[in-house]
Amino acid sequence: MSDLDDFKATYFDECSELLTELEEQFSAIEEGERDADRLNAVFRAIHSIKGGAGAFGFSALVGFAHAYETLLDYVRDGRVDLTDEVVNLCIRANDIVADHVNAAQTGEALPANYGAAEKTRFDAIARGDAVETDDDGGAPMDEFDIEFTPVRVDLEVFADGEAPVDDAFEVPPMTTMEAGQWEIRFTPHQALYARANDPLLLFRELAALGRMSVRPVLRAIPPISDFEPFGVYASWEISIVSPTVTEAAIREVFEFVEGDCDISIVDASLGGVNPPPEVLVEPVWEAPDEIASLLQLSDDEVAPAFTPEPAAVAVGAQDHFEEAPGLSFAALAEELKTLAPPKAPPAPVESAPVAAAPKAALPSSGDGDEHGARTAGVQSIRVDLDKVDRVVNMVGELVITQSMLTQQMDETLRARYTELVRGLEVLAQTTRGLQDSVMAIRAQPVKSVFSRMPRLVRELATKTGKKIKLETIGEATEIDKTVIEQLSDPLTHMIRNSADHGIETPEKRLAGGKSETGTIRLSAEQAGGNILIIVEDDGAGINRERVLKLARDKGIVAPELTPTDEQIDQLIFAPGFSTAEAVSDISGRGVGMDVVLSNIKKIGGSVHVRSWTGKGTRMTLRLPLTLAVLDVMLVKVGGGPYVVPLSSIVETMQCSRASFERVPSGGKVLQVRGEYVQVIDLAQRFEIGTEVAAADRFVVLCETEGSHKVALVVDDIIGQQQVVIKSLEENFERVEGIAGGTILGDGNVALIVDVQGLKTTPLHQSAA
Amino acid sequence: MEALSLRDDVSDKTALAGQNTLQLIAFSIGEQTYGVEITTVREIRAWNGATPLPNTREFVRGVINLRGTIVPIFDLRARFGDGQTSPTKNHVVVVMSVGDKWVGILVDAVSDILTVSKDDIHNVPEGNSIDTELLNGIVTHDSRMVGLIDLHAVVSGAKMDG
Repeated sequence: MSDLDDFKATYFDECSELLTELEEQFSAIEEGERDADRLNAVFRAIHSIKGGAGAFGFSALVGFAHAYETLLDYVRDGRVDLTDEVVNLCIRANDIVADHVNAAQTGEALPANYGAAEKTRFDAIARGDAVETDDDGGAPMDEFDIEFTPVRVDLEVFADGEAPVDDAFEVPPMTTMEAGQWEIRFTPHQALYARANDPLLLFRELAALGRMSVRPVLRAIPPISDFEPFGVYASWEISIVSPTVTEAAIREVFEFVEGDCDISIVDASLGGVNPPPEVLVEPVWEAPDEIASLLQLSDDEVAPAFTPEPAAVAVGAQDHFEEAPGLSFAALAEELKTLAPPKAPPAPVESAPVAAAPKAALPSSGDGDEHGARTAGVQSIRVDLDKVDRVVNMVGELVITQSMLTQQMDETLRARYTELVRGLEVLAQTTRGLQDSVMAIRAQPVKSVFSRMPRLVRELATKTGKKIKLETIGEATEIDKTVIEQLSDPLTHMIRNSADHGIETPEKRLAGGKSETGTIRLSAEQAGGNILIIVEDDGAGINRERVLKLARDKGIVAPELTPTDEQIDQLIFAPGFSTAEAVSDISGRGVGMDVVLSNIKKIGGSVHVRSWTGKGTRMTLRLPLTLAVLDVMLVKVGGGPYVVPLSSIVETMQCSRASFERVPSGGKVLQVRGEYVQVIDLAQRFEIGTEVAAADRFVVLCETEGSHKVALVVDDIIGQQQVVIKSLEENFERVEGIAGGTILGDGNVALIVDVQGLKTTPLHQSAA
Repeated sequence: MEALSLRDDVSDKTALAGQNTLQLIAFSIGEQTYGVEITTVREIRAWNGATPLPNTREFVRGVINLRGTIVPIFDLRARFGDGQTSPTKNHVVVVMSVGDKWVGILVDAVSDILTVSKDDIHNVPEGNSIDTELLNGIVTHDSRMVGLIDLHAVVSGAKMDG
């Protein structure tokens, strides 16, 4: 039970990867890159989703995926042109597949005919095209035409040169067949056994479809002198009688061995079509003596190839052959065990020389493009994230210990123990390298989040009736996995916001002299120790008057305050704030944007909005590159240690050298190179007493979002170091002005100052 | 699968049978004794300072490092409104799990492990809301009153109002 659940979980994991891949491929296809590789990738993805779905019995998904796959197959073969219409249908189909997968995962039921319209479109497109190919019909079709005329059958398969013309029983897969008797001829290739498939299992599945009889065709067995231990000499003829079975159902049984065998499926009830040539059910095994002698031989000469066990069964099966020409299923099962070449030969004679060069042997086992592509997967492994996290944590602790050790080295020690110093230097380098490598394991391209957005934008465009184009830039930028996971919700909200409030209706856009289609640009870039994710639209921009009025009405901003434009823009992140005149089902309930802010803050990032009236809005997420280790400046406030992220520090200076100015509110501003910067005294803000004389204190000039500066006044500056960020919320709750905690070399906890949070607090506080 | 759930049932029952009694860790604040269920206690350690947290109420003494995790420390005396404890090395932090969080409670001393019957738990007399809010019940042990601390209530409301 739990095993199956495990498999399911893996399947859904894979599905989400495959769906991402689909999204990617189609966005490239949409741009015009319509090469075969992309189509093949799409086909493989859908096929894999379908295959897994079949194994778990998600029949709705299988049904839809199958129809979709059929269309793709036609496109791949060139029978259907990849027109824009088809591409759009495919993109829509991807969404439906995603919905099906989602429904299967959550156990929710989709409407019974969900996707039926698209399914009909697939068929229509496939058929429509089939008519065309019919016209320029190839030569082989004529002869089939004659044979098949009594029944209306789509013949598109035969238009393709690939169709196994030499096989008289081939029938197009798209046809819906009537009930009756089916004749199947199944000739496995060696590859089928090499991939550890067992015909017996296939027969069992077939047997579930209806009344079945199986006849082995053993004519191909050569005389013992030419007998290859691993050769494949058996084929089978199977007939199934069932009123309900369709060709598709039969094909499905063989789905996973396609390409590793020849199969022909013929509806015998159509009559006369298939006198299978020489259906003589003759288990021609005329030389039992030879077999017997072979068995005797086996001990010495062929020993490694034949284990005694199957040999014994072979003798048992032998009897069945002689007494029953029309073999029963059970007997066949026995027979199969012996006739099928040993699947994992214990010590195959042939492979002995190969064993010396195992690497060379590998490619030969995976022939065919699809399989070749899959073997590349061996290069990566799936590892439980917890395990990686444990390593990350330990490396973090190691980094701290290392920096603590380095700090212990004073000048006298340095002079006396040069070897120790050198050792510590090497240790420092190694830890740094180790840390980078571990972080690289966790890093993932933002593509995994970005790729979900095109669909969102499509849906939003449909719902709002606007024309919206999404551009993504810098998808390959890598961020820590935890950050990526936390990114999905905020991005969704931001894009919704842009689509709903930012982009105008086509009419308004045209009236405003813009192009009809609005653009949302989603980009990611690395900037120092941060990652910037920017959501930009070319819409109307933030209506500041209305935002301010609403904020005042809702009591978010006190009436006497006059916030700057920038502060007004930031108000859209205040809890309970929404400017949408009508609450739509997309956004407007005022719960979206404050979620963005809190999610981003939770991962140590910040959000900044800039808006240009009539031109658009830009929202910038600044995220830490990694969550685990942070370069910080250690400072002292009121006797306690605090750390300020180094990435936000511009410069530090002594208070006695800084020029403070007073402002009417009683606060101070700092003049730095002609710029006036808000001053925050940490001791005051954190309500901790300080005994340090004002002149001896220090100013830490920090840069926050959007290159706005803030000056923090602290008692002392201790130095730089690396720290591991620890959550306060894990055991406590969020504390205003504090981004988290960290453990110093002496084992004490130091708090991480939330610079951006400090800067924005006053507005909210005076409002409350 | 079935066998497994059966076994679960059995263990539940045996656990229930033994659960008519309650084991408490008793600790003192001044003259008063309080107790918490022993199963919630993770660790007892001597007071060794804490990093104060800004913008929190006075009963939040700060945070400590417990083997790499940051754990908040609550001053129980201050929580009861008797002013902050002036902790010495002899004061004790009782680390407990409350829900999925670990918290430490600063007390004067840990005095005893008590086994009491569940039937002997009295209700907290109505009257002062602080008592009923912070205590789950009262038991008598050796003719002393032991207040059962409601941990959830103790750790809530840590942020400054406004």
